[in-house]
Amino acid sequence: MKIVSLDPRVTRENIDAETLEGELQPLDHFETYEVFEQRKRGTHHVHVGNVHAPSHELAMVFAKEQYTRRGQCVNLWVVRTSDIFVTEYMDSDIFETTATKKYREPDAYKVIDRINAFKAREAAKNA
Amino acid sequence: MEFTEKHVEGLKDLLYRMADDLLILGHRNSEWTGLGPILEEDIAFSSMAQDKVGQSLALYEILHELGESDPDTVAFTRNDFQFHNCQMVEFPIGEYDFSLVRHFFYDHADALRFEALTETVFEPLQMVAKKFKGEIKYHTMHANSWLKQLANGSEESKIRMQQSINELFPHALGMFEPSNFEQELMESGLFIGEAALQQRWLDTVVPLLESYGYTVPTDAAPLFGGRKGVHTEYLQPLLDEMTEVFRIDPSAEW
Amino acid sequence: MYGNAYVENPAATNSLTANEDPIKLAEFEARIAAGEKIEPNDWMPEQYKKQLIRMIEQHAHSEIIGALPEGTWITRAPGFRRKLALMAKVQDEIGHGQLLYSAAETLGKSREDMTNDLISGKSKYSNVFNYPAKTWADSAVIAWLIDAGAIVNQLANSKGSYGPYCRALERICAEESFHLKYGHDNVVFLATGTPKQREMVQDALSRWWEPIMHFFGPPDKMSVHTEVLMRWKVKMGTNDDMRQTFLDMYVPKIWDLGLTLPDPNLKKNEETGKWEYTEPNWEVFKQVINGNGPCNKERLAVRRKAEEKGRWVRNAILRKDAKYVTPLA
Repeated sequence: MKIVSLDPRVTRENIDAETLEGELQPLDHFETYEVFEQRKRGTHHVHVGNVHAPSHELAMVFAKEQYTRRGQCVNLWVVRTSDIFVTEYMDSDIFETTATKKYREPDAYKVIDRINAFKAREAAKNA
Repeated sequence: MEFTEKHVEGLKDLLYRMADDLLILGHRNSEWTGLGPILEEDIAFSSMAQDKVGQSLALYEILHELGESDPDTVAFTRNDFQFHNCQMVEFPIGEYDFSLVRHFFYDHADALRFEALTETVFEPLQMVAKKFKGEIKYHTMHANSWLKQLANGSEESKIRMQQSINELFPHALGMFEPSNFEQELMESGLFIGEAALQQRWLDTVVPLLESYGYTVPTDAAPLFGGRKGVHTEYLQPLLDEMTEVFRIDPSAEW
Repeated sequence: MYGNAYVENPAATNSLTANEDPIKLAEFEARIAAGEKIEPNDWMPEQYKKQLIRMIEQHAHSEIIGALPEGTWITRAPGFRRKLALMAKVQDEIGHGQLLYSAAETLGKSREDMTNDLISGKSKYSNVFNYPAKTWADSAVIAWLIDAGAIVNQLANSKGSYGPYCRALERICAEESFHLKYGHDNVVFLATGTPKQREMVQDALSRWWEPIMHFFGPPDKMSVHTEVLMRWKVKMGTNDDMRQTFLDMYVPKIWDLGLTLPDPNLKKNEETGKWEYTEPNWEVFKQVINGNGPCNKERLAVRRKAEEKGRWVRNAILRKDAKYVTPLA
């Protein structure tokens, strides 16, 4: 039995109500590409999501409409998800040590007291 | 130069051709929304359908300023013989190969037409042509990517695409059916004329198609009629459907 | 557009946290309690993952199937303003489906598997989309009130614990505020228009009221499971809370337009601050969820057909070295 729908588009498709077709195989919807957008010149590209696509070229075509159809964008990157290397969240403690490494911070270098003491000593010597 | 009544008539005819093409094809392409071959493409194709309807609106607005009825009345109350669109845009959406090839043929013509019109002496149209440049560039990028990929895809995709190219090519040439005002449009600097546009289009699409590996039926005879109000059996039902709600009460605000 | 999740209640004897490592579980729960998000490769309890996949997948399906009742009017929208807006709205629903499938994929279920579960009838989606959009006014009522209901739910869920779902919902909520405005505008034009238009919108509203009341799901039985899912910020509010929020925000706006709702008992109890209403028929709800609504068959057949029709296109361009890995975020 063919579907007669309230939607004229559906009626035109002549769909068999009992059809069991349509089942998908793995990769039927391709692999994914991660999408990075730059909202304006001078800013970093920011990750905004991904698209399923068969190639870089179509990934770009798809990303443009899925992620920038509202709002501003001046540049897009797409990268195959499988080409991205990531850290594990369970290893996120590797980042914690950085904060305690004072020698990397500007406020670890305070010499004004030393300079003043030196000046005082010199002044005393010459007095 | 001084514009005569014939120049204005020619300009209106040009605007109607363009606006009607865009409205009908935008409407057709919107039928894919929610039913496309993959979600991402569904979104892209829908955006382009919206762009087309939006562009048609901008052109109907110019017509309104030239004394024609308002855009809703013009778009939603005329019958098929009053439409100036080429026949190619009115066919049902068919399979995706058909819709893509039509999109490729139409959007390259659209891009070249608007590009030519960035130099028209009629300023409102010149401004519209400049405004939509970016939109249309994306449409041709999209079309090119798909035609290229499907030419190099499976045997089935190559055969399907080639068949749609063969089937649609004579209709595509129908886009350039001369109007009754070619001379007036050209002499006044309003438009370069259909013949010149067709040449630019051929110079663009034939090498592209050949580079993708398709053959182009360049000896095809054009199928005319649409520009003069002669349409296929598909246009009136499309209009009946499109205007079904509007016609419940055309004086109501929807 | 999505109401509350039809969350699975595992057998009562089966604790949600059975067999989980107590130390990892404690760390996981502490992270959530501290307001931090869980990210895809974090350790997570099996049931957390399972319920989230189920919920996000249902949400994604609801967007894709939700495009169909409104899509019914996409070729017939009256006038340019409505035509363009409806096209953009239905497009957004597809876009939301894409974002949500991606969020669910990060938990390890592929889009193909989710689609197969949809078209075989194994997964559920929001019950309302199994009802027909009989007239143009139905599409207006859907755009206003179903989207309004969805926003209530989605705003709550965007404060949930799973990072990818929250990120998708933030984008979705921003887009759906356009839907809500468009829907309201559309209903207002009909309600303040000609007698015919007013009749259309009143009829549509009366038709959709019960499905809308169903939208947030049956009253919750507060079980240990519900409590755990709420502690894990998978479930962000009870079905009744969300229904109350919706009624509070929208019933006055409906009444403002002089429209009536088909429930003589509907009123706000000023003492309790709660809305009182006739319980919708939950037996009907169950029937529709289980496949016996007016449009279930058609909705699934259309999705099957869309996948089938696109198959040659997709197969032709799938590259030989394609390598699916779970999306990162």
